[in-house]
Amino acid sequence: MRSRFWCCFMALVVCSWMRAWGQSSKAQNASTNGGDFSNNVQPLSKVPAGVLLVKGAWASASDSVTPLPEGGSVANHVFTNQYFGMTYPLPADWIEKYKGPPPSDSGRYVLAQLSPGEAFKGADRGTILITAEDMLFTPLPAENALDLVKFSSQHLQADYKVEMPPTPTKIAERPFTFFAYWSPIAQLHWYVLATEVRCHAIKIVLSSRDTKLLENLTLDLNNMKLPAEANPTAGMGGGDVPVCIKDYAENIISRVDPVFGERHFNPAPVRIIIDKEGKVKHIHFLSAFPDQAKAISDALGQWKFKPYRANGKPVEVETGIMFGRPASPVRRAGANAATE
Amino acid sequence: MFGSVKCTPCCGEVKTAFSPLLLRDIDSRIFPTRYQSKPVEPTLQGGVVIKTARLTSVLTLAVLFLGGMALAQTDPGVQSGNRGTGAALSSVTSNSPSGILSFFTDGQARFEELETVSGGNNVGLGPRFNSNQCSSCHAQPAIGGTGPASNPQFQFTSDGVAPGNTMPSFITANGPTREARFPFYFNSNGSVNTSNPNGGVEDLFTVTGRTDAGTCSSSTALPQPSFAAAIAANNIIFRIPTPVFGAGLIENLDDSTLLNNQVHNLNNNFGISGTFNHNGNDGTISRFGWKAQNKSLHIFAGEAYNVEMGITNELFPNERPLPGEDGGGGTGEAGLVSTCLNLSGNGYPEDTSNPAASPNSAVLDDVSAFANFMRFLAPPPTGGVVLNGSSVSAATISAGSSLFNSIGCAVCHNPTPGTTQPSNFTSSLGKAPVNAFSDIEIHNMGNGLADNVSQGSAGGGQFRTAPLWGLGQRIFLLHDGRTTNLVNAIQDHASNGSEASYVEEEFFNLSTTQQQEILDFLRSL
Repeated sequence: MRSRFWCCFMALVVCSWMRAWGQSSKAQNASTNGGDFSNNVQPLSKVPAGVLLVKGAWASASDSVTPLPEGGSVANHVFTNQYFGMTYPLPADWIEKYKGPPPSDSGRYVLAQLSPGEAFKGADRGTILITAEDMLFTPLPAENALDLVKFSSQHLQADYKVEMPPTPTKIAERPFTFFAYWSPIAQLHWYVLATEVRCHAIKIVLSSRDTKLLENLTLDLNNMKLPAEANPTAGMGGGDVPVCIKDYAENIISRVDPVFGERHFNPAPVRIIIDKEGKVKHIHFLSAFPDQAKAISDALGQWKFKPYRANGKPVEVETGIMFGRPASPVRRAGANAATE
Repeated sequence: MFGSVKCTPCCGEVKTAFSPLLLRDIDSRIFPTRYQSKPVEPTLQGGVVIKTARLTSVLTLAVLFLGGMALAQTDPGVQSGNRGTGAALSSVTSNSPSGILSFFTDGQARFEELETVSGGNNVGLGPRFNSNQCSSCHAQPAIGGTGPASNPQFQFTSDGVAPGNTMPSFITANGPTREARFPFYFNSNGSVNTSNPNGGVEDLFTVTGRTDAGTCSSSTALPQPSFAAAIAANNIIFRIPTPVFGAGLIENLDDSTLLNNQVHNLNNNFGISGTFNHNGNDGTISRFGWKAQNKSLHIFAGEAYNVEMGITNELFPNERPLPGEDGGGGTGEAGLVSTCLNLSGNGYPEDTSNPAASPNSAVLDDVSAFANFMRFLAPPPTGGVVLNGSSVSAATISAGSSLFNSIGCAVCHNPTPGTTQPSNFTSSLGKAPVNAFSDIEIHNMGNGLADNVSQGSAGGGQFRTAPLWGLGQRIFLLHDGRTTNLVNAIQDHASNGSEASYVEEEFFNLSTTQQQEILDFLRSL
């Protein structure tokens, strides 16, 4: 008993001495005034340049394994997006110069933006933009990718002229809609090719002053690989990925509301994957503050849905729920994600 | 010039001859041709049709392209002519309703007043401040604008405004007027704590050494933040003053107008999708400041009076310690030292309304008077542009405007995001188009512009679309005044994570002549 006392006592002494020594050591490095008034111009640490550390509302997910729409990347000259089951070998001499912005709170993704590299020999340059529009959240009056392109073609601003109205075509043996317009003043042409995968309108926008370049780029898109579901009007998932269903949140059996600690005013669109038993398996926040994401995660973990069945068998289903305020008051009735 | 050639045979043919019937499945290797007059030309691959423009068209384009290449695009620079910027709205000028003009002129006079710490009519300055006069920073090209060519802050250590201070290295004689912020708090040992975001304004100067600063005049009473250490640690960002011409119109845009405009903006093929910042009190869209963090001109004025000049007021009635001396940083300080409080001797707030004053306008507190001045300022008029000593033609400006729209700049820099709601102030503020060249939304602008400062809903990489009206006479550009060159400012819109990267690419896909037309157009604003 006595030896244990001495053992503890000595440990306390050593611990206290080490702590004091540590403070003393710090004090030697500290400037006369600390904090914002430090005179230390030999910084102990630096804020990394060109890195966004304070992000605000941002995309996140409940796990790091499930593929996300924004998770694509260019590697070895190939753009790959596992979520959309898409691969696209970049045209020769084209590069991804900049990464796109984070997903927006209206459900828009910039999957890739590509441009000619230094070795490009063409007289006129061009751009390739690959975007995805989450059709469960878009405020635009469109049910699917075809609607979206039609809406775009019907509401072009006066500076543009339609070259080709939305027209069915195929890219990489998958149905697409093709739409072309140009700006007479800019002499710039845009080719828009759109299809739908997992309830996202995938738009590939090619632009250049050089229509020959655009046509070659369009033909080059045949090197893409896309899932069998890709279709401008019917890309609803299924097969190896969950079926996506609008308003599936209406099939809820039990739920608890998230408890938000702080009042925010942003839309917080959330995509969830519901497993075959009706439990939330995966949560993807397109845009949410960390405290919002935490509160929503805590709540969704307690939600229970009616299991979805296809051909008599239970299957995973993917749906969207808008927490917070919608991205816009202008929404089509009865055809969008549930709003909490 | 190329941009003015709108209806050449070449262009006309391109515009009219693209037949939808020619489109076949692309995977069947047949591609549409837009030149009906040109026979289909199979390629060696068999079946791929590659259109060939007429030789004349190609030659014309080549000549125009090379002509454009011969002269690199140039920012015409700050336009010096008097465009009438800084005048009141027309209904205010005509004093409708009766008496309103005196509110404008009174507000302008107060906007130009020099503030002192104690002992005069305009007391309350400090104990920390960035300037002693609204109009010292809001000066270009007229009172209410942005930073002037000659930076008044640079004189403060020698002209008696901040005699006991060290001039920060980033304040230069001909550089931008600036405020500074530390994105992150420092630990007590001087290291940066990137897990502890700060972002508050670190006032550049103190009242140290001033004869009117009483007990706070001592050289040890109130140190300046260590800007040298912050620069060394890369823990400092800057902001320049936003011009306020036409601000009353922006204030009077109803939220529903902005929300509908947002949906309209979403119909773009540039990958752009913005959002709004909101006022934490009532949840409505906020709209002033670089991150749209301020709800109204009243709030904007009150915050600036306290933060930029250290003058407490009816909206912000308490003296403001720096973020690092308010318990948030590593100093352990818990507010301003008592010897630096109530330096005016009048108590708080230092700016109040004046119930016994006359005329009516004099009853207002300074903040209300500032807000009225800003609210009643007319939008900046457009004007002619001089490039390298020669006037730019109206046709070129017009072409630049169309190009600006065509390549997607106008998705965010919306020429007219809407029309104002009826105004109870004066008729010119009601039912008026707001030609601000901004959607008032906040957008992700990428790592290149990100400042790691969060304000309201805006994260460290989000900024309000800067209204471009009045751009022709601005000297310093972007939120921190990092450049005076429009080309650089456009380039800086592109970086990882920016919504504008694609549009920036489109700008540089234009011919040099077309790029020049856009620059000329921008300097006409």
